[in-house]
Amino acid sequence: MDKFEQAFNQIIEDDLKVEPRDWMPEKYRQTNIRQISQHAHSEIIGMQPEGNWLLRAPSLRSKQVLLAKIQDEAGHGLYLYSVAETLGISRQEMNEQLHNQTAKYSSIFNYPTVTWADMGAVGWLVDGAAIVNQVSLQRTSYGPYARAMVRICKEESFHQRQGYEIMCQMAFGTAAQKEMAQDALNRFWEPALMMFGPHDADSVHKGQSMAWKIKRESNDHLRQRFIDRTVPQAEYLGLTIPDKGLKFNEETGHYETSPFNWDEFWNVVNGNGPCNQERLDHHKKAHNDNRWVREAAEAYAEKTEAQVA
Amino acid sequence: MKITIENNEAKFLFRIADTSLILAQRMAELCSNAPFLEEDIAISNCSLDLFGRAEELYKIIATIEGNKFTPDDYVFRRNEREFFNIKLVEQPNEDFAWTITRQFMHDVWAKEVFTQLSSSKNEELVGLCSKVLKEIEYSLLHSRDWMYRLGLGTEESNKRTQDAIDHLLKYVEEIFNFDDLDKEYFSDCANIERVWQEEINRVFSEINIERKEIQPLSMRDFRDGFHSEHIGHLLSIMQYLPRAYPDAKWS
Repeated sequence: MDKFEQAFNQIIEDDLKVEPRDWMPEKYRQTNIRQISQHAHSEIIGMQPEGNWLLRAPSLRSKQVLLAKIQDEAGHGLYLYSVAETLGISRQEMNEQLHNQTAKYSSIFNYPTVTWADMGAVGWLVDGAAIVNQVSLQRTSYGPYARAMVRICKEESFHQRQGYEIMCQMAFGTAAQKEMAQDALNRFWEPALMMFGPHDADSVHKGQSMAWKIKRESNDHLRQRFIDRTVPQAEYLGLTIPDKGLKFNEETGHYETSPFNWDEFWNVVNGNGPCNQERLDHHKKAHNDNRWVREAAEAYAEKTEAQVA
Repeated sequence: MKITIENNEAKFLFRIADTSLILAQRMAELCSNAPFLEEDIAISNCSLDLFGRAEELYKIIATIEGNKFTPDDYVFRRNEREFFNIKLVEQPNEDFAWTITRQFMHDVWAKEVFTQLSSSKNEELVGLCSKVLKEIEYSLLHSRDWMYRLGLGTEESNKRTQDAIDHLLKYVEEIFNFDDLDKEYFSDCANIERVWQEEINRVFSEINIERKEIQPLSMRDFRDGFHSEHIGHLLSIMQYLPRAYPDAKWS
């Protein structure tokens, strides 16, 4: 072990942050690039299921809140791409990896948002699950990522409240609204729980990521925290969690759930979810249809720089 | 619900409020569809400003009208012929050149409009104008900068911009056919047109764009609630939920 590696190990052991100019093992760099770019892509692809309802938001207020929220997500994506860039990959490369499917994004965004109540469920459950994960990542060992998480968590908690507010409005509204709310919970509950990834026993990247403190808590641990927090919120809304096996274990103080449908999870991860193709096509179309705009901006910048010179 | 308008000042303000609203909705269509991420965020900003502006104007209108209706009633419960926006802003986002040209033409108009309204006798409106004028500075900076990039960028961007302008100019003439209501609430109608023509011609000449002669079209006036066919589609999307669930409440 050379002195660089020793220094790196010491940083990890002392719970300090690894910074862009520090030496780091190539695998540490690659793992962070994979995870951070996946997070960035999730923010960007996540704009689409919510954008699906932007033009149909039912009040001036809800429309402005939703647009501001989606704009936050674009901002998070931008911020995270910049974090990944500190590890030596360009935004263009990450974009290509997204398009050729060598990079992934959270599978939850491959589910369709079919009613307005889904805007509630996405904020409440999807952002709620994301926050549990991201709060944990505030202590991740790569400094720029940890600091990004601090900032992003503040906005995400606003997003979750926005979602829960919609759920309240729907659950306490007319019969039709309540039905939509229950239906949204039915569809998003299990996919939201699976956002935390496979069970610890089946998690591929777990060991080394925990040792390097990239990941601070296990998938199952984070998932349990989310379940314990969310079940009482559903009860307050008067909605039923779509799991007949759900029960509270007095001894452990935790809720227990039925086994998840992991076949569906892996099928969606592997590209066969309801909207995988649509999400990717949408992103490619916006990128390709506007190529001429980026070319014009570059050509204009070159011309005006030439004039200045 | 039949929305009625009693007062002249309210009638006049609907023209400005509806124009802000419809442009905001059009610009929101670009969310997740912009040429790159920074631009997506910028366009969302402009759209948010416009929605906020429309909402504030509807509040002022509601006050003038004795609070018989709420801003949401005005947005979600009126039909095509009860909207009074300029036709320019309901034109679609055929490509980014349309989006930018439409915004630029609007912004130049809006700047002079809100400048004049800041000497209104309505104090609420005057307060709003000082906020809005700052937003318009930003929006104009954004749209004008893009006009230069697109006009002078590449052969393709110049051609697309020329095409967008050729189409959108058709919807400009009506803006300056001021009626008595305009004359009552604007301090200098003629100046709105003068400022607009000067700025548009100046920018076009600098970005290698030709301003073609537009034959006056037989097109009825937006002040009487006349529209292009686009408005109905825009409204049917925007108003769907409150129309489908008339008893439901939405925050």
